[in-house]
Amino acid sequence: MDTVASTGKLNKEEIFDLMKQFITEVIGEEFVEEMDITTESSFTKDLEMDSIEIVSFSEKIKAHFGDQIDFTGWLSSMDLDQLINLNLGMIINYIYECQ
Amino acid sequence: MPVIKVNNRDVHIQELNKGAAETVLLVHGMFSNLSVYYFNIAPILAEHFHVVMYDLKSHGMSERTLHGYDLNSMTDDLNGLMEALNLNTVHLAGYSFGGLIALKMALRFPDKVKKLVVIEAPDPKDEKARGIIDDYSREFLEHYVENFTDTTKVKMGKRQMERNHRMYEYLFYQTSIKSDMIAEKDFLDEPEVALLNKDTLLLYGADSNCLETGKELNEKIKTSELTPVPGDHNIPIQEPVLIANMINTFFRN
Repeated sequence: MDTVASTGKLNKEEIFDLMKQFITEVIGEEFVEEMDITTESSFTKDLEMDSIEIVSFSEKIKAHFGDQIDFTGWLSSMDLDQLINLNLGMIINYIYECQ
Repeated sequence: MPVIKVNNRDVHIQELNKGAAETVLLVHGMFSNLSVYYFNIAPILAEHFHVVMYDLKSHGMSERTLHGYDLNSMTDDLNGLMEALNLNTVHLAGYSFGGLIALKMALRFPDKVKKLVVIEAPDPKDEKARGIIDDYSREFLEHYVENFTDTTKVKMGKRQMERNHRMYEYLFYQTSIKSDMIAEKDFLDEPEVALLNKDTLLLYGADSNCLETGKELNEKIKTSELTPVPGDHNIPIQEPVLIANMINTFFRN
């Protein structure tokens, strides 16, 4: 649900589950079923998310965590190579550190 | 995902720094979406401005529509968006086809546009600019993607290929986009373009096929300045920080 969480810090497993839920909402269940989403999954290569889908994903993070995480700002500080190599584990670590 | 109703249709918008005194409105190009601004250009502009981005009809996450891809309809949409957001005047910037929309907006609704930035707007009478529409096929898309991957380094996978294919199929074969664009072929030759009385920054890639169009526009518009940027038609992707800083300086001065 897109609500700002008010309770305590999530552990990495909980963040992983939440990210999986957001990815499913963005790209659709039928595609997620065919994929094995792991912390190694890259956004562009493995999950095949395009930029408008990453916008949706960013909006979900913003809606859930509010101002405590500047996910878009973090993404915009990356160059193209970093973005291409971005995987789920890196996002989980970033969110975990920000909380 | 913020979606608002404009002229009875769902329009996906994104806003940054809502409290700022002045607004910058950004228009993306054809077959693209607001993400061309979202990650790099918009955050820089949002340091000083309220920034509004939106997905054009049938693009990104806005509602699909069969008709109304001519510049009058596209600027009716933009005007409707400004009304829905209670924006009286804005600084306006548009890229590629969005640059034509921005220019048309400044001509039709001069009181609503403060300053204008036109990035890589093509001349619609140039068959090459329109040509991709006549040539479209699945093979075309695959070829396009092969070339496209040279600059983005990301190879499009099966799901993205399908997604893009569906969007092109819809726009090319079901909507009026083709005929609406052909009907606009003389837009830049219309005398009203030369009457534009608005500070205008023209940003074109130094190696772009559209640079000539930039030069011609600069000749016509007395209040314009043309600045070549390193790169080709894809300068917002190639030089996002430079583009954002140039727009920022132009709107702030």
